[in-house]
Amino acid sequence: MAWSIQTFSAEQTALCGRVLAPLLGVGDVLLLSGDLGAGKTQLTKGIAWGLGVAEPVTSPTFNILLVHEGRLPLYHFDLYRLDHAWQLEDLDYYATLEADGVSVVEWGDRFAEAAPLDGVSVTLCIEDDVKRRIDLRPLGPRGATLSGLWATECDQIEGVSVVEMGR
Amino acid sequence: MSRLLIALDTATEAVGFGVGRFDGVVLDAFESGSAVAPRRANTILLSTLAGALERAGERISDVRGVVVGRGPGSFTGVRIGVATAKGLAQGLGVPLVGVGTLDALAWQLAGAGREGLVGIVGDAMRGEVYPALFRCEGARALRLTPDRVAKPALAAEQWASETDEPVLLCGNGLAKYREVFSAALGTGAVFADEATWWPAGAGLFAALAGLEAGVAGSLERGDAGAVLPIYTRLSDAEENERARAGLESALPDSGVVGGGERA
Repeated sequence: MAWSIQTFSAEQTALCGRVLAPLLGVGDVLLLSGDLGAGKTQLTKGIAWGLGVAEPVTSPTFNILLVHEGRLPLYHFDLYRLDHAWQLEDLDYYATLEADGVSVVEWGDRFAEAAPLDGVSVTLCIEDDVKRRIDLRPLGPRGATLSGLWATECDQIEGVSVVEMGR
Repeated sequence: MSRLLIALDTATEAVGFGVGRFDGVVLDAFESGSAVAPRRANTILLSTLAGALERAGERISDVRGVVVGRGPGSFTGVRIGVATAKGLAQGLGVPLVGVGTLDALAWQLAGAGREGLVGIVGDAMRGEVYPALFRCEGARALRLTPDRVAKPALAAEQWASETDEPVLLCGNGLAKYREVFSAALGTGAVFADEATWWPAGAGLFAALAGLEAGVAGSLERGDAGAVLPIYTRLSDAEENERARAGLESALPDSGVVGGGERA
């Protein structure tokens, strides 16, 4: 089951991340894709906020991986600057995804062959100046459960609308 | 003249280390252990080795040989271990000998007195494992299957179909796939304690002694430049390269990439 969430401000996008945080468990993976300014970092900031991360969260474009300590470790990747999937091995990408925390991967759809076995693919689209569409697509059984729970939580946020997209 | 040896392995989430002395006949592993430090091998490996040498009352400058676990295991981990071992051996001007990480685990169990079939299950990530079957007998581990990568269910079913004997299962792949092996092998599945999943100096030294050339012979021809990691699964780059070159099978029959059976 896929879901489409509409937000009407950066704050609402961050709130969608915040309500996801309590649902996350060890090994959960979110692949974020979307144009610059679509809200990938906003969403991640919200997740970090919900996980109790105290330090500021910025896009790891230049670091490629930033680790934040919260209720669970948050592994925040940005694959934008990588040219080849094999470079992921230099980051210990696969072991990190299966490690002790939650992974949020910006530009996570960059390498099809590196797709995780499970998780949620999140695509953020710019609809207009303030309006964003956040599409959730499960990558496996855990992703399906998580997407459903997350969409339900987002639906509780004032001003945010959620549409079930079917299979 | 006896030779001071050090051993290291970072193919798993643990840093395995050891300090030993070979007197020409017996290899005494007097410092041996493993420190679980997920994805931190690069930060603690050298200090861990230094600590082991210090506890043993030995100096790095007296080391006359290095033993390294070549994998298979974490791609990044294997590279950290092999690269560090090469650097140490080159810098000290001493031989480097590689042993299989799964072999080290099996020899470790054999050395601890375990007998019978031993199935080592290494975590290969991305839903796969490195399965290898050994027979342990009189403190020795005889390898029955080559290094390869496989789906856990397939590996478990293969072992179940090949034997009615109990199999002692060990390795970090069991953290995720214990149930898979339990289901396939039924009452034949015996699980080693998690504390035994990590290769330590004792296993690495025992695997060295178990090489065909023995300790002396292996050290004699131990060339740091010739020791290669065992990746088993090709990196995506190598896979692509081979596909582009029109090569049919990406992996040799042994399932081992880089160095084959060479120690």
